[in-house]
Amino acid sequence: MKSNKIALGIESTAHTWGVGLVDFTGKVLSLVNDVYVPEKGGLHPALVREQHLNNFMRVINDALTQAKCSIKDINLIAFSQSPGLGPVLKIGALVARMLGQLLKIPIVGVNHCIAHIEIGRLLCNIDDPLSLYVSGGNTIVSAYESGRYQIFGETLDIPIGNLLDSFAREAEISHPGGPKIENLAKKSNRYLTLPYVVKGMDLSFSGLFTAAKRLLESEKYEKEYNLCDIAFSLQETAFAMLTEVTERAIAHTEKTEVLLTGGVAANKRLQEMINSISDEHNAKFEVVPLKYAGDNGAMIAWTGILRYKSKGEFNLAETIINPKERMDNISIPWRSKVIN
Amino acid sequence: MTRKITKEKLLHKGAEASLFYGHWFGKEVIFKHRIIKDYRIEQLDRTIRTIRTLNEARALIKVKEYRINTPQVYEIDTESSTIIMKYISGSKLKNLIKTLSISKKKDIFTKLGRIIAILHINGHIHGDITTSNIIITSSEDIFLIDFGLHDYSDSIEDKSVDIHLLKRVLISSHGDDFKLCFNAFLEGYESEFRDRGNNAYNDIIKNISIIETRGRYVKKENRL
Repeated sequence: MKSNKIALGIESTAHTWGVGLVDFTGKVLSLVNDVYVPEKGGLHPALVREQHLNNFMRVINDALTQAKCSIKDINLIAFSQSPGLGPVLKIGALVARMLGQLLKIPIVGVNHCIAHIEIGRLLCNIDDPLSLYVSGGNTIVSAYESGRYQIFGETLDIPIGNLLDSFAREAEISHPGGPKIENLAKKSNRYLTLPYVVKGMDLSFSGLFTAAKRLLESEKYEKEYNLCDIAFSLQETAFAMLTEVTERAIAHTEKTEVLLTGGVAANKRLQEMINSISDEHNAKFEVVPLKYAGDNGAMIAWTGILRYKSKGEFNLAETIINPKERMDNISIPWRSKVIN
Repeated sequence: MTRKITKEKLLHKGAEASLFYGHWFGKEVIFKHRIIKDYRIEQLDRTIRTIRTLNEARALIKVKEYRINTPQVYEIDTESSTIIMKYISGSKLKNLIKTLSISKKKDIFTKLGRIIAILHINGHIHGDITTSNIIITSSEDIFLIDFGLHDYSDSIEDKSVDIHLLKRVLISSHGDDFKLCFNAFLEGYESEFRDRGNNAYNDIIKNISIIETRGRYVKKENRL
């Protein structure tokens, strides 16, 4: 019998089926991921769903074993309810409802974007950050204000991770493209001019993608410049855009903490840039540890705990998935009062 | 010999530029200095700073043609990316908004709507209409500042995006006043177009909601 209550969190918004066990004090007991990797092209929702359906029980069992728990030790089920690929979200919700009813324990739904921020607040020991959340599916600059995580800036078209992945595919770099682009970029310092599009605090990456793709297709490619030069220029342009809007948001909100999270947070060059502007504004800079920056079940479990402690469980009707939910639509009851 | 140009004190350190107060041949001025950003590579940094300095100075001067209040530009230095411009004494709308009566808020935002309409009708996009970039003087004149993201465009899309940005700022920073202020803004904006017999505002305003529905994670039922 475990002394603290335990939540099991299920992440199922895109390629990752993640299960994490977290106790009610915020201690992460285990974290196991199964990641769908496409043979070619992007994520096909039906194929991702199939993979998750085939693997969900194994991942849950692995997470329980790792935490030295039995399924009977679980006191709360949390699942990613929004936003994401509909067919994939459904699997998470389905498994969560099933477990909740079998075990007769409460379940809560969690917004995936908010979970990325909450796990950062927990693990990086910061309270009220300005967050830059960068991944394959999202690019959001947000901060807590008037009861919600307000969005100050976001992409107007494709997310930064999507830009990197799509460019990698065009350049025939195997999945995942981000780390490989980062390594290629290190080998160059030759900047090729690319479109830099910042609109207020919002960003647009689609023109940048097209321009980078054209560099690959040009007859000058591999004569006057090479792939490393394009990778370098792509990163420098896109990350400078991200850094500029983040800095504007820091100046605007006057937050004293900056949190970098999401899969692209692993990029050292981006970390360096965001760190630099945080220093300039005397803000504490934290990167969510890699394991927790990408999609994972622990962030869902922890956010579920926060929600459950402040507002209680969901009834069955409330567990319906919401693939398009914006994070600034959701009120954050746990931040308006103190929780122990 | 007395120095004719003196930089006296730092007034504001923004994300992009530092604003210094000082004197220029006896006149009270602001030095807007676009700071070198070490985080980006030199080539990109220089390009961005130079383009924005020139853009801003040109726009500040150009829009005066339509009697829009902007600080007078005295000098430009692209080497240090600095604009020396007239010092406007007043308060940022951002700081003032909470202290204003309902009728004053309505009045200011209606006027602002007319000002932005004049810009748009003449093919100017401000590019960063936030409440920090609007100065209200003691005589209640409205000054537009920070034209660093200014652009020339006649497209409906660009004009809608311009207004959409203001809308976003009002929601995120002045949530309680959003409806009142934004409706007043639209009223002024429309009136200016109508007074000039220009019907384009219909499409511009309609396009704002299209932009919103195009955003990420918009519910299906709200999509067009």
